[in-house]
Amino acid sequence: MYQFYTSKMVLPLILILGLAYLGDSMAYASPSETTTHTNNWAVLVCTSRYWFNYRHMANTLSLYRTVKRLGIPDERIILMLADDIACNPRNKYPAEVFNNENHKINLYGDNVEVDYRGYEVTVENLLRVLTGRHEVAVPRSKRLLSDEGSHILLYMTGHGGDEFLKFQDSEELQSHDLADAVKQMKEKHRFKELLIMVDTCQAATLFNQLHSPGVLAIGSSKKGENSYSHHLDPDVGVSVVDRFTYYTLAFFERLNMYDNTSLISLGKA
Amino acid sequence: MKMDSVLNAMASFLRLISLLCLPILFAVSAIGSVSEGVAEDFSEDLLLKPLPDRKVLAHFHFQSTAPSSRSNSYGRHHHLFPKAISQLVHKYRIKEMELSFTQGRWRYDRWGGFDPISSSNAKPSGVELWAVFDVPPNEVDATWKNLTHSLSGLFCASINFLESSTSYSAPKWGFHPASENMRYGTLPREAVCTENLTPWLKLLPCRDKSGLSVLMDRPSIYKGFYHSQRLHLLSSEYDSNAVDLAIVLDQTLTVVLQPHSHRGTLGYSTATQLQPSWSLSSIFGRRVTGKCALARSSNVYIQLDRGLMAELQGMLGEQEMFAIIGASSEGSGSNPAFELSANPDRVHMEISSRDDKHLSVLYMFMVEEKYDDSEPLDLRFTWKIPVAWSIPQAPLHVTRFLLGSGNERGAIALQLKSTKPSDRLMPDTVISDSCSLLVRVFQVVPWYIKVYYHTLQVFIDDRPHTIANVVEKMQVSPSKDKVSPGVMEMLLKFPCGLKSAALTIEFDKGFLHIDEYPPDAHQGLDIPSAVISFPDFFASTQFMENNISKSPILSKWQGQSPILSYTEVLLVPFTTPDFSMPYNVITITCTVLALYFGSLLNVLRRRVGEEERFMKSKGTNNFHVSHLVSKSLARLRGRQWEPSESQSSSSISNSKSKLLFKVILVAGLAAAWQYYFGSGT
Repeated sequence: MYQFYTSKMVLPLILILGLAYLGDSMAYASPSETTTHTNNWAVLVCTSRYWFNYRHMANTLSLYRTVKRLGIPDERIILMLADDIACNPRNKYPAEVFNNENHKINLYGDNVEVDYRGYEVTVENLLRVLTGRHEVAVPRSKRLLSDEGSHILLYMTGHGGDEFLKFQDSEELQSHDLADAVKQMKEKHRFKELLIMVDTCQAATLFNQLHSPGVLAIGSSKKGENSYSHHLDPDVGVSVVDRFTYYTLAFFERLNMYDNTSLISLGKA
Repeated sequence: MKMDSVLNAMASFLRLISLLCLPILFAVSAIGSVSEGVAEDFSEDLLLKPLPDRKVLAHFHFQSTAPSSRSNSYGRHHHLFPKAISQLVHKYRIKEMELSFTQGRWRYDRWGGFDPISSSNAKPSGVELWAVFDVPPNEVDATWKNLTHSLSGLFCASINFLESSTSYSAPKWGFHPASENMRYGTLPREAVCTENLTPWLKLLPCRDKSGLSVLMDRPSIYKGFYHSQRLHLLSSEYDSNAVDLAIVLDQTLTVVLQPHSHRGTLGYSTATQLQPSWSLSSIFGRRVTGKCALARSSNVYIQLDRGLMAELQGMLGEQEMFAIIGASSEGSGSNPAFELSANPDRVHMEISSRDDKHLSVLYMFMVEEKYDDSEPLDLRFTWKIPVAWSIPQAPLHVTRFLLGSGNERGAIALQLKSTKPSDRLMPDTVISDSCSLLVRVFQVVPWYIKVYYHTLQVFIDDRPHTIANVVEKMQVSPSKDKVSPGVMEMLLKFPCGLKSAALTIEFDKGFLHIDEYPPDAHQGLDIPSAVISFPDFFASTQFMENNISKSPILSKWQGQSPILSYTEVLLVPFTTPDFSMPYNVITITCTVLALYFGSLLNVLRRRVGEEERFMKSKGTNNFHVSHLVSKSLARLRGRQWEPSESQSSSSISNSKSKLLFKVILVAGLAAAWQYYFGSGT
């Protein structure tokens, strides 16, 4: 079922520049033009449950490790994992998660902070995190406390379809929901630039309704295309990473905190 | 000009020196303030204990104490005590709180049920939280709700699910003696992993960087058969007549691990098989390289329980037993039964009020300055002779299971079996008074399990028994749909010679709204563990030394902790929402309706006689035309005209080809459909 790509893989990137220039033509001045960049945030979401979706958890944890390595602290990362695979009874390597069969990097490490997990990973909670509409009692570590100068990475992986993303096989996030949330974020000055990365089947369809300025969206597949896993780890017994994430990580692994690389080079990778 | 630059350089140099000195000054002043009044305190302990089923119990205990903020000279600042916890205590006015994260099930029959560790550290799997607040009764629920959210943020867990009134309860007397303003909740299916341990370790002054917590290698710990991480908080901050100590924070981690046995694995009977030998590095993969510099005391203990000592006493002579007991005075920690790689600094013998020789032994190793990176403490325990023993048990062994089948109703059964404790474990009251055994049961049942409390039945030694004779005291608060769970607290009184007892209670399964089901509802839903306690029995272990109050483990053991055991979590299969079912219903309904209306319309609208007449007239017309045409054709060809056969055969072949065409068309459509839309996700 799994295939290795020996030749240079061209990432199926679809860059939708979410009408970034629309802001200029409008009557009011866009705040993203005037404010300076203040901080970086990451919202990393794995929406699928069960052991056979190991690769989705591994995808998200790989991104978590990468953004942490590249300088975003834990308190500015909202990590949502729909299931516990590190301490799953089926995991031969307790408290360890790998995204490669060479087992060089333990993604779970000793210092992982999962903010939303298990049944908490719902569409409602994701939209609450994005729009910042929480109950009073919700602790700070579970909130996206970004401001109008923030750059936010929203990474989602799971099973998707035409304009939707499944959450734990029981509910869906639709492209309209996402677009509404982003629009609300923009109006509430919750970000300056937002990068949305989605690794699901037909990922690009999730961006169809996005019209807010300052948003860049990257999907792993176009409409009608599937996103497949990269390879299977015979020791773990399931596929451990998806192709899109694998090559994205391969790009990020070459970078360090002080690199000045732009997203354009990710597209060229 | 030159002078100016020199002065400038001098000034900058002085500034640099003052900057360098500043932290030192601060540090000095900080030390000064610590010495005033009652200081904060931290100590760490590790207990290791061989278990009869070839496993090893490791029990870490960290204790931090903080003086009251009133007597404290530096207000609400802390040096050792975790700030997050003291903020919790102050914000929610907590008197006592316990939070545990557990994976696996404690085996009371193999790992013990009558010692302080099993009664306070054997916890139900998942998360258990209870807290007692010092707030007016009408504010307790709101405080609890906020506390669950704070803890969920602090420990990376979904403890906030305990905020809903359906998931927590207010025990009256069945769970804890002092339960005014108490709330209790469990999440049986909560995952427990590294992300919960890490924030727990961050509460320690040395984290996992030095001291005993260095041993907590995540893969080794989570490889274990059981691990329970617990946080217990006792505060007298709001007690007006309290002593100096305001907050006591006990953090324990209890792990049951399987040492790798290199030899002796071939024996089949346990009696002849040598128990596996183990060392710190073989079970944790790490060694202790010194104590946490901030800890007042840092000790490692090895405990041999009463059962093991009794067994050894039976096997060995007086002289050899003396070698075991007096290991520290001898040159090495070796004796005929086992060998210790290091000499214990002290040996504690348990003392008992009754004259009894089977007492547990505790070897104490102080992790002081003598161990460092070059010479780490790697305690090794090597067995020399095969030993098989049984560990002290609680008076009754409890199991709980479900009765009945189907998705409609069932029953919960609680079975208590006597473990026949010898007389020495029985408290004096039980033996002297009218012989009876008191058992307390505390059971919370979620609202969707609708328990019929009147169906409670009691069986003693397999015979039904009247409830009034057994149930001393009972308090039931029935569940309210979607509002609160059902709580049952019972005090049962059994006769002493009891062999087994069983309680059954019937229930109906309720219906949930479609969005009340968890995403994996097909697994079934959980009934949390019941808590069984024995109010007449206490697990306390007294040791001969009197200066052991220093150690948190031993001072904890001195106290009288009630004997508790938790039952299994029950998994109740439920009818689950199934989207194929409404789909099927819709399809079949539509089909039936279509058939019905179609035939009805047919009957109502169709005028059979008229149609026949029309067809006949049409048919004759057609017949005439075709007849004429074929006749003329035959004439042209110069043949005899045969009227009907050819025509009928041609019509048959015609209809056949039509059918074939239809089949191909449908297959083609299906293939096209498959091709364009059928590609999976």
